[in-house]
Amino acid sequence: MTVLKRKGLFLFFMLLINSFFIGDMSYGMTKVACTDCHRERRFTTLFRESVHGNIGCTGCHEPIKSLDRHIRKKEGLRLISCGKCHGEIEKVYNNSFHYLYEDFRCYDCHYEIHGLKPQKEQIKIAIAKNCIRCHPNEEYAASGHGASVMKGNKDSATCSDCHGLHDTKAYHTSTDKYILEAREFYNKACKSCHSNYEMMRRNNLSPDTVKYYEETYHGKVQDLGYPTSVAGCADCHTTHNILPKEHPDSTINPKNLAKNCERCHPKIHPRFAEYKAHPDYRDRKKYPILYASFVFMVGLLLITFAFYWTHTLLWWRKVYWEKHRLEALGIKLETPLNHQEANQEIKRFSIQDRVMHVFLVISFFGLVITGFPIKYHNAPWAKVLIKAMGGAHNAGLYHRIAALILIALFLITLWRCIKFVFPNGFEKKNREGWKERLFGPDSLMPNKKDWQQFKAMVKWFFNKGDYPHFDRWTYWEKFDFLAVFWGMFIIGGSGITLWAPELASYIYPGWVFNIASIFHSEEALLAALFIFTVHFFNTHLIPTKFPMDPIIFTGRYKLEEMWKNRRLEYERLLKEGRIETLKVKHPSISLKIISSMFGHASLWLGLIFTLVLLWTFFFG
Amino acid sequence: MRRLQLIFLFFFTLTFFSFASEKVSSQRYIDPLTAKNLVKEKGAVFVDTMSYLECMDHRIPGSLCISLEEFEKRSPQLLKDKTQHIIFYCESDECLRAGETHNVAKTMGYENLYILDGGLPAWKRAGFEIESIIRIRRQPVESIKFNKLEEFKKQKKNLFILDVRSEHLFKKGHLEGAVNIPLYVLHRRIKEIPKDRSVLVVDETGKRSFLVCCYLINNGIRDVTRLFGGMKEIERGKKQKR
Repeated sequence: MTVLKRKGLFLFFMLLINSFFIGDMSYGMTKVACTDCHRERRFTTLFRESVHGNIGCTGCHEPIKSLDRHIRKKEGLRLISCGKCHGEIEKVYNNSFHYLYEDFRCYDCHYEIHGLKPQKEQIKIAIAKNCIRCHPNEEYAASGHGASVMKGNKDSATCSDCHGLHDTKAYHTSTDKYILEAREFYNKACKSCHSNYEMMRRNNLSPDTVKYYEETYHGKVQDLGYPTSVAGCADCHTTHNILPKEHPDSTINPKNLAKNCERCHPKIHPRFAEYKAHPDYRDRKKYPILYASFVFMVGLLLITFAFYWTHTLLWWRKVYWEKHRLEALGIKLETPLNHQEANQEIKRFSIQDRVMHVFLVISFFGLVITGFPIKYHNAPWAKVLIKAMGGAHNAGLYHRIAALILIALFLITLWRCIKFVFPNGFEKKNREGWKERLFGPDSLMPNKKDWQQFKAMVKWFFNKGDYPHFDRWTYWEKFDFLAVFWGMFIIGGSGITLWAPELASYIYPGWVFNIASIFHSEEALLAALFIFTVHFFNTHLIPTKFPMDPIIFTGRYKLEEMWKNRRLEYERLLKEGRIETLKVKHPSISLKIISSMFGHASLWLGLIFTLVLLWTFFFG
Repeated sequence: MRRLQLIFLFFFTLTFFSFASEKVSSQRYIDPLTAKNLVKEKGAVFVDTMSYLECMDHRIPGSLCISLEEFEKRSPQLLKDKTQHIIFYCESDECLRAGETHNVAKTMGYENLYILDGGLPAWKRAGFEIESIIRIRRQPVESIKFNKLEEFKKQKKNLFILDVRSEHLFKKGHLEGAVNIPLYVLHRRIKEIPKDRSVLVVDETGKRSFLVCCYLINNGIRDVTRLFGGMKEIERGKKQKR
């Protein structure tokens, strides 16, 4: 206490002497300056030379009301908010982690506030050095980014490039909250630099890494807005200790990669790590197998559609022109059948076929609706669909349920095919006649006749011959069936691989997952577009059947129709005397309504989806 | 007998759930603007439930500094009127101290209790001022991650591990050789920390240890390090090892 008193008296005495010479504060009748008492170098010389030197003490400190009280430490100095001059910075800072959670003030980072000078050092180095005062992160200092910053690389990321400067985010990863926001923010931060073409080229890095990542399952789901479900940048490359691949401590070093993958994919075989996280499958030299897979699938798509869309167009033209010609001439095609016979319903599909087709339609739409938003993740409708399904996780669940239905249908079909060829069992004596059954008229296996019928059909398209006569199955129906059948091996096999990649890694290496992704994705496009265009046209939209043929749901059609479209089958059945056994009643009204509703709904949904897909493909 | 057991089980479940739901619904959360109006209209007081050091460093202007651990002991003197409107808060939106103090106050018979929704960050986000009575000057503080702890211990031979968590958490489990000085009494027991030894500060989640370290450095303890992520990271590390 006595010391304080003595100090106070001394200060008072000093001020009294000073007041005779200089001063800008009134003390009694005398004006005094702050530096009369606060004589430290930082308040005098350093402050005068600092960036704030011209605004004086009262630029940041409110003037004191009573010097006497101030000397006796009864009145402290009130700070004027830095935001008075630095308003924009204050605005963002007030929402930053440092202010909201740590209650940091400007001078806690700008610690030499009285002697603050314009930054001579490169700004990125200065920022890193300042942050490291409280966050001494040896990992960052050793990382590719940190080491480059310290070497003077102006492109490399300093602390503020990822975390923000004055706007350090409140969803800091140390908090358990805002996990989604944090992942979105940090992924975006990585992408913003790594997709900068000029910057990446300058630093001998691929400028397309982000683009390729977004073509993978991880990237697509992340882009759809579900970054917590998949691997983002930091999950593989880590956060601060990002080291080049060649470095033995790097998480992406081949020696450490399997361990890295295992954090999300437990119980994997080490070859799981051979998966390419962001490959350019258009690069023939670097990824020859991926390139070949991609080219094969694109080729398959192009050939299939070039062939079938041409076939469809020619067919449509012929039917329409023929219909017009007959109408113009007033000709009506006569059948040898009388009115009663012509209207007789004939069974074409069994109840098993019909139920299976209903499930096939449901599972197919299920797969399309849940899968295509992932394929076209950039499209606005993709986000809407995924959100409507309750997120990527739910969409994935529904996709798998639909896939299980399809797999079950496939297995039932397989079993039925076997039973069709070997109806009496597999013993040698019971196998007799299997070849005849396999290539017979009731089989869906293509044969010579199909080739002849196809040629005749083409001739008919060009007015060079008559409409060919068909048996039970036409060549395009056989193709429809077999395309789905064989397609199941590609889409099903790749789908199961992608469903359980951990298990799959015990059978084949990780790069097969990349191929599986290409196959699954392109085969899905092939299947969906084929069904929604070619199949829909052949069976529903052709002018003779427009707008829809409900035969697959009702299971029956008129004898007249059989005579017109499947003359060979009609004649065969007539000859075999089996036609009587196939006669059934006209479908009930309820069956007709249900068939019509389900059929139309599926048809329109498919057509709308086709338009959306084509729009996305060309303009999306 | 079996039927009796079933009836008992039914009522027990019913009571449990009604109690649980009552416990949550009875806590009234209010936003910063409502809280401010409550002060103006009903003379409500803010209670900062963090430690004395933290409260004096930064708080809502005019708040009472009564930490969760000391509420039962200190509130009869500071909050004599049981009908007084009281708004509890803590310094993060993840902190549970305000809710816990609220429950203690309720059992003591206080009637008009509220919790500031989102805590101090929400108050700051709303653009309202805070005050600093005894500010702890922020200092550069080294931190150590749990996986480097053993190495760190070998390096700092004379290490003093200061566990600033509350007593009951310390009893549940702590680092070997740690000394427990809970944060709410640290300002009274600062002298117990040796100035000539390296100090490692351990808290619950690593969020409070920074300020503690700054306080220690300002009080002449030079070699201070904090455990990154606190005991939560230690537990996480143990689980990962398993």
